[in-house]
Amino acid sequence: MDKAISFEQVTHTYQANTPYAQNALADVSLVIPNNSFTAIIGHTGSGKSTLVQHINALLKPTKGSVQVLGRVITPATTNKNLKAFRQHVGMVFQFPEKQLFEETVIKDIMFGPKNYGVSDADAQQAAKSAMKLVGLDQSLAEKSPFDLSGGQMRRVAIAGVLAMKPEILILDEPTAGLDPRGHKEIMDLAQQLHDEDQMTIILVTHQMDDVVNYASQVVVMDEGKIVKTGTAAEIFTDPGWVYKMQLNLPSSAEFAQKLVDAGVPVGKLPLTIDQLATKISQLVAEGADTDE
Amino acid sequence: MKDIIQVKNISFNYADQPLLFDNLSLNVHEGEWLALIGQNGSGKSTLARLIDGLNVLKQGQIIVDGLFVNDENILDVRNKIGMVFQNPEDQFVGATVEDDVAFGLENRQVDRKQMHHIVESSLKNVNMWDFRDRIPANLSGGQKQRVAIAGIVALSPQIIILDEATSMLDPRGRQDILNLVREIKAKNHLTVISITHDIDEAAGADRVVVINHGKKIDEDVPDKIFSNTEQLAQIGLDAPYTSQLIAALKRKGVNLNQQYLDSERLIAWIKQLVSNK
Repeated sequence: MDKAISFEQVTHTYQANTPYAQNALADVSLVIPNNSFTAIIGHTGSGKSTLVQHINALLKPTKGSVQVLGRVITPATTNKNLKAFRQHVGMVFQFPEKQLFEETVIKDIMFGPKNYGVSDADAQQAAKSAMKLVGLDQSLAEKSPFDLSGGQMRRVAIAGVLAMKPEILILDEPTAGLDPRGHKEIMDLAQQLHDEDQMTIILVTHQMDDVVNYASQVVVMDEGKIVKTGTAAEIFTDPGWVYKMQLNLPSSAEFAQKLVDAGVPVGKLPLTIDQLATKISQLVAEGADTDE
Repeated sequence: MKDIIQVKNISFNYADQPLLFDNLSLNVHEGEWLALIGQNGSGKSTLARLIDGLNVLKQGQIIVDGLFVNDENILDVRNKIGMVFQNPEDQFVGATVEDDVAFGLENRQVDRKQMHHIVESSLKNVNMWDFRDRIPANLSGGQKQRVAIAGIVALSPQIIILDEATSMLDPRGRQDILNLVREIKAKNHLTVISITHDIDEAAGADRVVVINHGKKIDEDVPDKIFSNTEQLAQIGLDAPYTSQLIAALKRKGVNLNQQYLDSERLIAWIKQLVSNK
């Protein structure tokens, strides 16, 4: 099957039937291919988190239907039937280390698989390979997760999700609050899970440089609607539109835009620092058009 | 210039853990924007908690606006300081956004009419007035942080400590909040300490203190701190964007004799280089 997830005209209303009812998703249709790396971007409150919470059935659509790995969720799906979805869709929330609770690292990671009826021995096996996946040394297995550093705690939390061997992994701002080193480690892990373990990765992020560096497909949300999908190059081609969406450009495009505003003829906005440096060195070598 | 916060030879460790601070000293000047940078676990947040009296010192002294941080002065000290944490969910108490911002004012027995006025202007300041009737739990992460900041602003402290306070916001939201804090700082003559590992946020500070493994390893204006890209890399921090671009240009044979310039000066240099040809 080449599509992992599809949304068909999904509407989700929070606080339905109250004076505060508000559509967090309005008539959203979307296809996410298998083994894609999809970034979901949009300003604060645009509906990104609501969208992804439908993928592992934390939320049900108020209208429309969501299909995940061949299973369908509609407003009529009973809560009892939702558990099956979650086994295949791993969700890493913002600040996932807040959900650690067990006495030891290994027990915490084993909790998920055991919750789905996996035997102790198998859960332990799954936990050990998940630790390896996220780069946690086996010597940490019997430690309390609360004695670890922030970056390590986050890995334990992610390992707990990976131990359930999901086919789809949703990362909701997985690097928030991490320092640059921790940030790169987590993003490289996401890429590795995508490239080597063939997972479908969905990344909710505000970091446009990560979108450029990691995502194969980008979905832009605004006011509960999907307003654009495409590659990073397609999304960031129109700075005026990006700003209208209250988003930022990737750092290099933003710097290039400032150069354009200052009268340096950069041309098509570069997405990476290497592209920008190349362009500037060409301009320096050739001399800018304005002077010829 | 008066030092509004003096940290004198402090030592501290968490229970059953090695010393985090060993004889650390630093001063915060009144009216400055001080950025405290360092990687996760370097002790930045612990230092903020010690200043606010949330953790207790083993040795040394901290003086906030003339008051020793101790049991006797703790309430007065906390009245002078507004702390904005990374995750606002830990701070919510009100049933609605409006109630939440009013909570601190009620605690201080502010007159009801004045309270309404303060709550309104604080929420408008952070662009959340339209959300005043909402339940905080139903807001997105960024919206929650705005409400938390409104709650601090409402109490008009002398010192604001931003503890990774913008790390959950999108880049525009982050810029908005920093601009907002800058505005309030100027209007009310505040001192701001921003604890961050966002180098571009630190670049806007008056002064930068670099903390690594509980030690102050450098202290200077941003220009000087960011010129030392090796040191930043060593402690696991990124170089500012402009430094990265300068390095990338060097690889393409375009040489600048400096490791750091702010955007404005780097743009001027590139422009001159391009049009000199």
